[in-house]
Amino acid sequence: MWERLNNWLEVRIGVDDLIRSQVSEYRVPKNINIFYTFGFVAAVGYLIQVLSGIMLLIYYVPHPDHAFRSVQDIMLKVPYGWLFRQMHVMGSNLMIAAIGLHMLTVFVMGNYKRPRELTWIGGALLLFVTIAFGFSGYLLPWTQLSYWATTVVTSIPTAVPVVGDFVARILRGGDQVTGATLSRFFAFHVSILPPLFLLLAGFHLFLVKRIGISATPFGLPAEEKRPWTEYHKKSHVDGYPYYPRFFQMDMLMVMVYLAVMFFLITFLPNIFFPADATIPADPFKTPVSVRPEWYLLAQYQLLKIIPNKFLGVIIQLALFAVFLLWPFFDTEKEKNIMKRPMLRVLFLFAFILWVILMFWGRS
Amino acid sequence: MRRLVLSVLIVVVLPSFAAGGYKEDFAREFLSKTWVGERIEENACIDCHSSEQMKPAFQEIPDEWRKSWHAQNNISCSDCHGGDPKDPSVSMTHQRGFVGTPSARQVPEFCGKCHIGILKNYQESGHGKSLRASGKGPHCVVCHGSHNIQRANIEIINEQRCGKCHSYDRAMVMKQALFLVEKKIGVIEDGVRALRRAGVYSAEQERALFNTEVEFRTLFHTVDVSLVNQRTGDFTRKLAVLEKDIQDIFAELRSRRNFSAFLLLLFGGMAVLIYLLHRTDHQ
Repeated sequence: MWERLNNWLEVRIGVDDLIRSQVSEYRVPKNINIFYTFGFVAAVGYLIQVLSGIMLLIYYVPHPDHAFRSVQDIMLKVPYGWLFRQMHVMGSNLMIAAIGLHMLTVFVMGNYKRPRELTWIGGALLLFVTIAFGFSGYLLPWTQLSYWATTVVTSIPTAVPVVGDFVARILRGGDQVTGATLSRFFAFHVSILPPLFLLLAGFHLFLVKRIGISATPFGLPAEEKRPWTEYHKKSHVDGYPYYPRFFQMDMLMVMVYLAVMFFLITFLPNIFFPADATIPADPFKTPVSVRPEWYLLAQYQLLKIIPNKFLGVIIQLALFAVFLLWPFFDTEKEKNIMKRPMLRVLFLFAFILWVILMFWGRS
Repeated sequence: MRRLVLSVLIVVVLPSFAAGGYKEDFAREFLSKTWVGERIEENACIDCHSSEQMKPAFQEIPDEWRKSWHAQNNISCSDCHGGDPKDPSVSMTHQRGFVGTPSARQVPEFCGKCHIGILKNYQESGHGKSLRASGKGPHCVVCHGSHNIQRANIEIINEQRCGKCHSYDRAMVMKQALFLVEKKIGVIEDGVRALRRAGVYSAEQERALFNTEVEFRTLFHTVDVSLVNQRTGDFTRKLAVLEKDIQDIFAELRSRRNFSAFLLLLFGGMAVLIYLLHRTDHQ
């Protein structure tokens, strides 16, 4: 039976051939390390978000009169509703962390260099879309925390003259955060961002497959460390097959990802649910402290400390543009960051600044 | 390419320095306004009562109110005294429903606008009858205070306060009758707070507790010890149901934690297993 089914599929799709070419004969560089697994972990993270999101979608009601209640019912009345919501909330934060770590390691290993500029841009846009997922999903429970955090973030475009108010109105569907905002954030979260994410992920994977995985610059001969000037697929014929060696590393990190997720759910179940997250949204009562999630805290703090809000927004956009187009700024041939003291200092400075701003924004 | 991107950035960033201080209304609108629309206290009552022109005793009223249970529950001056706090020119006119300081006889009706059940039981009590007959009986303010009103509790019944008018013996019997229910209310309040700390939406339990508490407090304003004793059992039963409800939620939280810990062990164990397999294969 199994053999007949396999044969049927083989004739039509060529499963064996697909597995052979993409898994068992697909070769990865010999000096590949555990940090190369973050991309796969992020992809599994996305799958978890989709599955848990579909479970939540069954009971969630995107209306200001029912949204809060429906989320509380998911937590208290729906069998295992709490588990899917906790996985979705923890997963949204862990996925951003996984993509962040993936980009960090790509940066440190110089793997964004020619001809992988577009791979980097695709990854940066994926990070941006994931943050947009987090931000749009944040409003959906319609709590005091989510309502006011959304009010804060959607007020940021108002600092831009002429078009700012228009942009804020488009985001909110009016002058204030209302039911119209909830409707469009919900639509954005469940029907616009997922295909956008898949499109970008497909583009990113296509480039990874087309160009081949970049080896680490550490411990390689000098000519290997230099970026290419013309196309040739990096097939790593002397490397290891993806399966089982690297697949095991991928699965190991996926299990670590899930273990971290359940560690948080077990021991820190309220880490992303402060007191205001269990109070229904009240447009007439501003909470004492309003702040966005951890991944937007540094940007939020930067906006707060720059007295001119327009300048603050422009600096944010400029920093985003630099981040997105970094491969075009850094055109040095040397990939090894250990041989580039200036880049090392710049990286450490930016990273420490980000950490300081994040904790400053939290206090 | 790098030059092009840098040029674009410079072209975008530089005008922002200029535009930042370009127009006065831009500066007013964006530079001084907070990111979040903070609620600004626009209250003519507080403005005048805080001013130097007011008599010192009256100046203390806003501060007393700010510390009160009413302030914590968003009950403001106009909720009791009427008037219009948004328009200083007519804030204290009768047309806007302003009621100044009520006389002793008027106090129960004044507070009873909101505390309806308590008003009814108070008026039927010895305290209420005495006030109506002589104008001297204890009214709400005598026991609870006025602007700095605090959350009522059993300690309000004490020898110092009750002894002003009559012997404490009768009041002490009443306090004893209330004690067990009050204690249970305290335990359930702690439970509800713990639920909130655990991230559980506890509005249903809070509402049930609030209703039972209000009903109970309404009852003892009759100052009728035998009635309080007679109905204590009802309240104890209601509170026991509520307490069990809270305990059930905590039991559910514990079982969730155990299930989640099991999944943690499962995935942690699989991680260890895969690591060992990987190491063996590598060797």
